[in-house]
Parts: sequence; C-alpha cells; structure tokens
Amino acid sequence: MIQKVLSDMSNEARDPRYFQILFLGTFLLYGVSYLGWQNETSKYIALLASVVVTQLAFTHYTTRRYSSIKSALITGLGLCLLLRTGSIHTAILAAAIAISTKFLIKVKNKHIFNPANVGIIAAMLLTNDAWISPGQWGSSVLLWFFVGAAGLMMILKVGRLDTSFTFILTFGVLLFARQVLYLGWEPSVWLHQMSNGTLLLFTFFMITDPMTTPNHKYARVLWSLVLAVGLFVASNFFYMQTAAIWLLVIFSPFTPLFDKLFVARKFEWEGIPLERNDTVIIK
Amino acid sequence: MKKIVLLLMAVCSMGQVALAFCGFYVAKAGADLYNNKSEVILVRDGNKTTITMSNDFKGDVKDFAMVVPVPNVLAREDIRIADRSVFSMLDAYSAPRLVEYYDQNPCEPVYEVEEDMMLENIAVAESTMSRVLRDKVKYRVTIEAQYKVAEYDIVLLSAKKSGGLKQWLLDNGYSIPAKAEQVLEPYIKSGLKFFVVKVDLNKYNPTANGGFLRPLQITVKSDKFMLPIRLGMANSKGEQDMIVYAFSKTGRVECSNYRTVQMPTNKKVPTFVKPNFANFYTDVFRNQHSQQGRNAVFLEYAWNVTPTWSGVKCDPCVGNPPYAREFLMAGVPWANANGTTTYFTRMHVRYTLDKFPEDLFFIETPNKEHYQARYVITHPAYGDLSCAEGKRYVQRLKLRRQQELRLLATLSQWDTKEFYDYVANGTDKVRIEEESDQNELFVVGGGNGSEGGPPRALFFGFAGLLILYAARRVYSLADSFTFS
Repeated sequence: MIQKVLSDMSNEARDPRYFQILFLGTFLLYGVSYLGWQNETSKYIALLASVVVTQLAFTHYTTRRYSSIKSALITGLGLCLLLRTGSIHTAILAAAIAISTKFLIKVKNKHIFNPANVGIIAAMLLTNDAWISPGQWGSSVLLWFFVGAAGLMMILKVGRLDTSFTFILTFGVLLFARQVLYLGWEPSVWLHQMSNGTLLLFTFFMITDPMTTPNHKYARVLWSLVLAVGLFVASNFFYMQTAAIWLLVIFSPFTPLFDKLFVARKFEWEGIPLERNDTVIIK
Repeated sequence: MKKIVLLLMAVCSMGQVALAFCGFYVAKAGADLYNNKSEVILVRDGNKTTITMSNDFKGDVKDFAMVVPVPNVLAREDIRIADRSVFSMLDAYSAPRLVEYYDQNPCEPVYEVEEDMMLENIAVAESTMSRVLRDKVKYRVTIEAQYKVAEYDIVLLSAKKSGGLKQWLLDNGYSIPAKAEQVLEPYIKSGLKFFVVKVDLNKYNPTANGGFLRPLQITVKSDKFMLPIRLGMANSKGEQDMIVYAFSKTGRVECSNYRTVQMPTNKKVPTFVKPNFANFYTDVFRNQHSQQGRNAVFLEYAWNVTPTWSGVKCDPCVGNPPYAREFLMAGVPWANANGTTTYFTRMHVRYTLDKFPEDLFFIETPNKEHYQARYVITHPAYGDLSCAEGKRYVQRLKLRRQQELRLLATLSQWDTKEFYDYVANGTDKVRIEEESDQNELFVVGGGNGSEGGPPRALFFGFAGLLILYAARRVYSLADSFTFS
C-alpha cells in the first residue's frame, strides 16, 4: 500500500509542471526577499487565488480533470513575476482573463494564447493600472545562470529545447551583430541587455509552453526564429521596451497555421502515464 | 479576435527615431575637471522629452565645453535657458526628509525665485559657406545649425566618423578625453547628432547668477526615452552621482534597464540623527548602493504634484511645492493646464562604467502610488515620570531606543557602541537603573528581523526543494541512460 502511494508520488513527480511551480515559486520568493517586492504580497495572493478559482470553475463544467490546477498555478506565478499593478482588482481581472482564454479561445482543442501573456496584455489594455517593469530583475550574470540552468531542466523535460534555443540564439546573435559589431559598443553592453531577467523568463518559461507553441519541431524552430527577429527589430529600431510580451500575443494566432502546415501530435501534459489520471476524474 | 490583434498591431507600430542626452564636460585648456554630480530634469510627454541640465561648472568659463548627443537637429525654439533656482527648488522639495520635530533639508537651502525663465533672442551666427564646406571635406563633419543662446555658443554637428568628429572638436579648441572617441562611434552610427556648447565670453556676465553658468534646456522628439551617461564616464574618475527629476502625465517614471529600488522609508531613527541628517542619509545611501550590487537606480520621491489636485503633496513638506512658474521653468508647461495630471519622480543613481555599461533607459508607468524617503525621530517625554504608567513608559522608551539604535546600525552602518548613552541616559530626566538589559545594546547590525524574515526562510526552503528535485531528476535521467 505504502509502496503504491510512493510509486504514485514518484510517477506524479515526473510531471514537469511540479518543477516549473517550484522554480517560479523560488524566483518569486527571491524577489520578495531580496529585490524588495514584499509590498506586493497581497497582489500575489490575489493572483494565485483567482487563477485557481477560475480554473476550478471552468474545469468543473468541462473536463473535470482537476490536475490542471498545476497549469493554472504556473500561469498565476508567471503573472506574479511579470505583471505589475497598483490594485488587487486589476490583478484579479488579469488572472480571470488569463485562465478564461484557455477555455474560450481554442482551435482544434488547443488554446491559442499563452494565458499569462494574454492576462498581462488584457490588464494593460483594459485598465489604466497595469504595467511591466522590464528592469525589476536587474541583470546579474548569476541570474543568467540560475534562470538558464533551471529553464534548461524545464525544457529538457518538456522537450521544448528547440524553441528556447532558437529564440535566444537568434536574438543574441542579431543583438551582438548590431550592438557590438556594427555600433561598436563593448560586449558588456550586449551582455547587460541579454541578462535582463524579463527576457530570460520569457525565453525559458513563456515560449516553452507546449500548449501554445506549434506541435511540430520544425514549425517551432521557424516560429521562434520569426519571434526572435521580430523582437530584435521592435526593440532595436522601434525602441519598444516591452516588445516581447506584445509580439507573443500577436504571434500566437499563427500557431494553428503552423500546426496545419506541419502536422504533428499535440502535446499532452499527462501523456506518459495516461491511465493514472483517469482516477482523478470525479464522476 | 481580429479586432484585438489589429489594435495591438497599431500600438506596436507607432513611430521610431531616437534620442539621447547627457554630456561630458570637456576642458578647453586641460583644466582638471570631471562631473561627479549632476542634476537633470527629465520631462516626458508623448514622444517628446525635455531635458534640463544643471551646470555646476566652477572654473574659468572660457574652459567650459559640453557635448550632448541628440536624436535630431534642434530648432532654435527647442533650446532654452532655465534658471538655476529651479534645481534647488525641486531638490529641496523632493529631498529625503527627516520628520517629527524638525524638518530639515540635508542638501541646499531653498533659493527664492527671482526671475522668470529667460527666453532670449538669438542671432544665428553667420557661418561662412567656405568653412562649412571645408569641415565637411576635411573632417566629414557637417555643421547642421549654429545658434547663439544667451551666454552660450551652440553648434549642432552630424558626423560620419568618430575620428573626424574628435579632430574637429580638437581643432576648434575643445579638449576631448582620450576615451571619448570609442564612445562617440556608437552614437554616430545610431544616427545621433551632437549638441556642442561653449561660452560666448562677450555675452557672459560673471557677476550675474552667482557666477554660475545657467542650465540649458533642450526638447527632443524620440520614442527612445533615455539619458546617455556613457559620454560622461569618458572623463570621469570613479563614481558619479546623478539626480533625475522626472515629470510625466501618467505616473511614476522608472528605469527600464536597471533596477529601480526604493530607499528605505519611514524608519524610526535615534534623535541624535537630527543634527547629522545629511551625513546619515549619505551613509544610508552608500550602504544601500553597495547592498543592491552598485547597479540600481534609487527612488527618493514619487508623488502627484498637479497644482489643482487638492491632496497632500508631501508629508512633511521639505520645501514649497512647485507651482506654475517652476513648472514652466522645468519644461512642464502642461502642468498648468486644467485637466492634466503631473507626476514627479526623483531618482538618484550612482554609476561607474563597470556596473552601468549601458545608457539609462526609462519607462513611464501608470504607477500612481506615493512615495517619499522619510526618516522619523521621536523625542521622549519630559517631566516627572515616577508614576506607574510613567515607569512603563520608560521601559518602552528604552526598548524603542534600542530598536532605533539597531536600525541605525543596519541602515547607515554607524558604530552604535559610541551612542551607548542614548539608551542609558539619553532621556535626561529618565535614568535607567537595571544594568542587566544594557548588554542587549551591543547587538549591533545583524539586520532587523521584521524585514523579509519569513519570505527569506521560505525562499531558502523552496530553493532547497528545487535543488533536491533537480538532483533527483538528474539522477533518474542518468539512470535511464544506463545499459540494461
């Protein structure tokens, strides 16, 4: 009996989402303890509570697969890490919209928008009280390693290595060519721009979302290539400081197109031990 | 669906162009000068940025020169002379404050505003065609415009090569720091122009304005909201301080490529800080600066300063709030119009090349939360405290003073041992008998437990779990690769 529980736990722990939750949670706590975000705690609680409640409500009327709470928590943590707002109402609105789009805007049973991404954009467009602080992470090389290593673990498990690496390499090479080779800045300027915490989070945690990226490997490479070039142009020639978030929401609707052109099997979080999840369904 | 996407596209494709500021002082005759502290007023309205640069130049004015990269060739009306008093006024108003019994400005006293902003007529210098042509061929430098503005001679240059620009400056009597050339190059390639200033000795009146040169104010149009600090680092040794007074219609202005950190505020500190508040704050700043990795921008004040807004604008006010005249001088003309709001953000940045490799970029946020760097002293009660409640008060007072000392040690790194008397005898009429507790006094530094304690423990807990989990995964991953 105990052995069965342990083996179940170990099976369950294979779900990469636990790692993601643990990692994003650590990152958030790092911000609260060392980057002075302690005043935002009430908003974090509101965000996390609202994503869970929204997810529960939708799940109750749809699939009833309650293990999806993990995905909601990841969305909530992503919102905590990227969205800044002055009021709890805005936080709740962002969380509710983020989760709702997952259920409401779907093509072939696959949601289109990255929920955290669309939550942030919606809050910024609908209220006059939401923003992104691209500089809130600072940029230490240590952070680079931390996010990079953890992100690597994450994508290794989900198998989205191609997306992140194509994206960060393309963007990095273009930025290096522009800033260092053409303009003549020192490599430290390039390194400073590359080690921006928001960029790293975006690379390793947002665009690795298997549900909103194309299913086929080549499609993903192409998709992230276009995204990287887009980000490079937007940030270097149009001086958009929060370009990544906006570009992703613009690019997301093209994912079904990529899926149509490159046919591949849709990702399932619980792909491997399928039968185990059936027990969770409450009838 | 379609509608949203189209809307987003529209938002993303608005405009382009580029801006820049903030120069370095270049000596004309090798005078030993470097700008260790500068003040800048930064006003953002749409894609228009108005920058007012303080001028603390002390020395022979014929040695004064300034080079500022700008995004476009400025028209005459984009260049103005502001009054020096606007800086001292804004500084006094937004400076970190000590409250309770004495409101003190640690920095400069408030100057009375005596004259309005000067908008003097200029005579555009007649530059002979031959000279312009010669410069173009010889240095690949083009003189785009030339203005005489009050006591300043201003030239707007565009260049093709940093070497040519440097040579032009040298041949025209500007001495350029050795390292400046490599910094000029990226600006030239980004298509920036150079706003080059020297003093017209015929117009300069040494007895006016306290012997100082007046601040220059320029308005540029660009989507890039930034201050180029890199040029200023070319001739500076060590750390430089810059105070940025930023104005916006939407809310707080914050730095977008470095962290913007609030200075500790509402901290209760010992009463003896009062006469030394300037020293105290300098030390708090130095301490924070190093604690935050020497690469953060510090917030010292953020408030809605709309003249028609009836709320409290500071608590307590260190100086008079800015009104119509000051707003006009600072380049915030819309502050006086009805129906617009004006937010004032004061940032303090201490930068060195190794920690600030990139220019400072800013972003306007809708953050309307008020903030001020504020320190509190509480004087004790005097008189007869022999009643029961009085005795309890004395005990509480002693505890409070111990906390104040500990906080002082944490904030400013002062050695609080020398202030031992503050708890023991500091209350004049109050004498503390018990010797036993006094040892606690020497618990110096160590941090104050109320700040970030539980989250920090939680953070380490989570990080530990993460490492365990990762280790477990790597182990099992390695396991699955073994031959079986």
